[in-house]
Amino acid sequence: MEPTDEHPAVSGEVIDLDRLIEMANQIGDFFSPYPPQRGIEGLRNHFRTYWDPRMRSALLAYIDDGGEGLSELVVTGARLLEDDAAEKDGYYGPPKA
Amino acid sequence: MPNPRRPEKETVTICAYCGVGCGFKAETIGNEIVRMTPWKEGKANHGHSCVKGRFAFDYYRHPDRVKTPLIRSSIDEPWKEVSWEEAFAYAGSELRRIQEKYGRSSVGGVSSSRCTNEEIFLTMKFVRAVLGNNNIDNCARICHSPTQFGLSATVGAGAASQHFDSILQADVIMVVGANPTEGHPVFGSMMKRRIRQGAKLIVIDPRRTETVDSPHCRADIHLALRPGNNVAILNSIAHVIVRENLHDPEFIKARCEWEEFEPWAELVGSDDYSPERVGPIAGVDPEDIRRAARIYASGPRSTIYYGLGVTEHSQGSTGVMCLGNLALACGMYGREGVGVNPLRGQGNVQGGSCLGSWPHVFTGYRFVTDDATRASFEAEWGVDLDPEPGLRLPNMFDAALTGHFKGMYILGEDPVQSDPNQNHIIAALRNMECVVVHDIFLNETSKYAHVLLPGSSSLEKDGTFTNAERRISRVRKVVEPLAGYQDWEVTVKLMNAMGYDVEYAHAGEVLDELARLSPAYSGASFELLERVGSAQWPVDTNAPEGTEVLHVKQFPRANGRGTFMLTGFVPTRERVSDQYPLLLTTGRILSQYNVGTQTRRTANSQWHPEDVLEMSHGDMQARGLSDGDKVTVTSRFGSTQLKVIESTRVNPGVIYTTFHHAESKANAVTSDLSDWATNCPEYKVTAVEVTKVTSAEPARAHSTTAEPETRALVAEEA
Repeated sequence: MEPTDEHPAVSGEVIDLDRLIEMANQIGDFFSPYPPQRGIEGLRNHFRTYWDPRMRSALLAYIDDGGEGLSELVVTGARLLEDDAAEKDGYYGPPKA
Repeated sequence: MPNPRRPEKETVTICAYCGVGCGFKAETIGNEIVRMTPWKEGKANHGHSCVKGRFAFDYYRHPDRVKTPLIRSSIDEPWKEVSWEEAFAYAGSELRRIQEKYGRSSVGGVSSSRCTNEEIFLTMKFVRAVLGNNNIDNCARICHSPTQFGLSATVGAGAASQHFDSILQADVIMVVGANPTEGHPVFGSMMKRRIRQGAKLIVIDPRRTETVDSPHCRADIHLALRPGNNVAILNSIAHVIVRENLHDPEFIKARCEWEEFEPWAELVGSDDYSPERVGPIAGVDPEDIRRAARIYASGPRSTIYYGLGVTEHSQGSTGVMCLGNLALACGMYGREGVGVNPLRGQGNVQGGSCLGSWPHVFTGYRFVTDDATRASFEAEWGVDLDPEPGLRLPNMFDAALTGHFKGMYILGEDPVQSDPNQNHIIAALRNMECVVVHDIFLNETSKYAHVLLPGSSSLEKDGTFTNAERRISRVRKVVEPLAGYQDWEVTVKLMNAMGYDVEYAHAGEVLDELARLSPAYSGASFELLERVGSAQWPVDTNAPEGTEVLHVKQFPRANGRGTFMLTGFVPTRERVSDQYPLLLTTGRILSQYNVGTQTRRTANSQWHPEDVLEMSHGDMQARGLSDGDKVTVTSRFGSTQLKVIESTRVNPGVIYTTFHHAESKANAVTSDLSDWATNCPEYKVTAVEVTKVTSAEPARAHSTTAEPETRALVAEEA
């Protein structure tokens, strides 16, 4: 994906942050009945598979800024996106990225 | 009465209204349709039809049809009639200009389930191969995307497990959030036939629908839950099944992942989901939940049919998973008379799902992130493809508000009327620089468009549809396209105008290409369909003439087994309050179709001249309302005006309306909440208040949110 700075006409988050936080927490709510490790892998894979890369980076940037309002499960799951080694075959939940 | 005008010719084709996909003989004199006769050989309808397919076809020659391409540089200007070449050149250069300025990902497209498989496939090819990103979605996003997600997760295929005729072998029929006698009438009639023969009927629906109680149709149990409690109720039914040992351990051990069954049984078996706990929350008698569970589990052949009352919730995907879990636990898969079956809204919603018109998957639900899948498309199309998922339809509008999404190709869709939170959609469209609408009429969305490409109706084109039972059938051109081109030809010409060379002699060649790229369709071709009439996917070397019942020996998951998903109940954030004490939910009636673009332009309108609001006696009295009063319905998002009538079909606290007329603006009040997994909007639950319109007040719908321009500006500054 092209970095947005090649296009000075575009700046800021691709989607309103409040909406992004709400969406992320909803996904976290779904995975909360799972054992913690499977929950965070499920979250990671959901973001990786269904979220536009700009939505993912906006979420990660927000987490770097403190991630206020995000559940702990969501923060831990999203952080797995930072390292592709976290991608696992034995993943549970929606199809693997 | 014999038709006084003797037809010269008859053409067998498919009705494009609902997901039943009835076969029809279209009888013509010259280029004029004089009669639509249900086709006896049609395997979905066996010679039956409803009042839409039979009579509501004259829209194809309505004076409102657009016959010439239109362009304008600003939505404040009047439209200018231009040649096709000029329209393609303008649209193409604008989309490229926007990509130069705002980036490759600043444009995208959406396709419609009113269109053929071939057109849906080409729209996705246009976005991926020509625009070079994955910002492609289709209207199933706002209706059945949770079906794909929820059923794929549990049984590996986001589609109906059965053929329609299978219901004639069912002992128990469970209908959840659907009203087949109105929404899918020809299938509804078959269901009634089975009920008359003695099958038991369980209905889970907030409203006492025609399926619950009408001639030849009476539910043995009706769980009239408060909107938004599907997952709680379905978990509670599972609770009873697990606690009373009504499940089928043999089936689970032989066909499913037992190690996933156990945590699921523990979750639903917990006291949180006991009928005594869930009943009062959902507004249902606990004993009815127990009875429903016992009847469903005892079968011996129990089948589930469901609709948008399951999917259009913030837990829509979870609700679908609940249905998959339930059927697996009771061994209700892989035979006649059982299964889990989505009732699809539009004629080709199943095709829309299958043909890769999604931001994250290609055809056959294979991921854009998968290198091997991408390589097969790159080899066929001769271009490099974006390996990242694109924006989903609601995310495109969200990104338009922040200035990241600026141009869009909209084939056969009317988001301003169809999508939730209308004010939000309008503000997003106003923020775009090139909106290309490809449709048979000017519509609510084209008010904000810069290019209008005249479309062809399903009576004017060749191709295929895939109905709700996975049946691929031929759509045949009955009359010549009014504006000169079939829709698939228009998309190809737009691709050509943007420098991508591709040619198809006829729609069958598009089907051949998509068959090469879709495992479940690999055996489909015009030749096959000429020979066998229609075929249900998978149609491949193992099943050269198609497959009626899925999951007979194994489930299409990596290990061949079905699995159980943990479906905790999470209440929606949309709740009643002192200010908004009523829950609004929506549905359809028999004679009209969805937002009514077609049916309202036919004599069918006489059956349903306007949408009305149904309200219980007590709620009417508390507000001093009488039958026929004009009322204002207000939510946190907007308001609209409707006529109210007293109804015994809704419980106190719940109100109901249809959404067939643009003037009703039902989506001016719906919220921006959506399904956690797919962003499918939560149309079915909106907290509202209803007040009587005084005669002095002008009748209009208005926004309670900030003006569109203001919202966009704020977003840009953020």
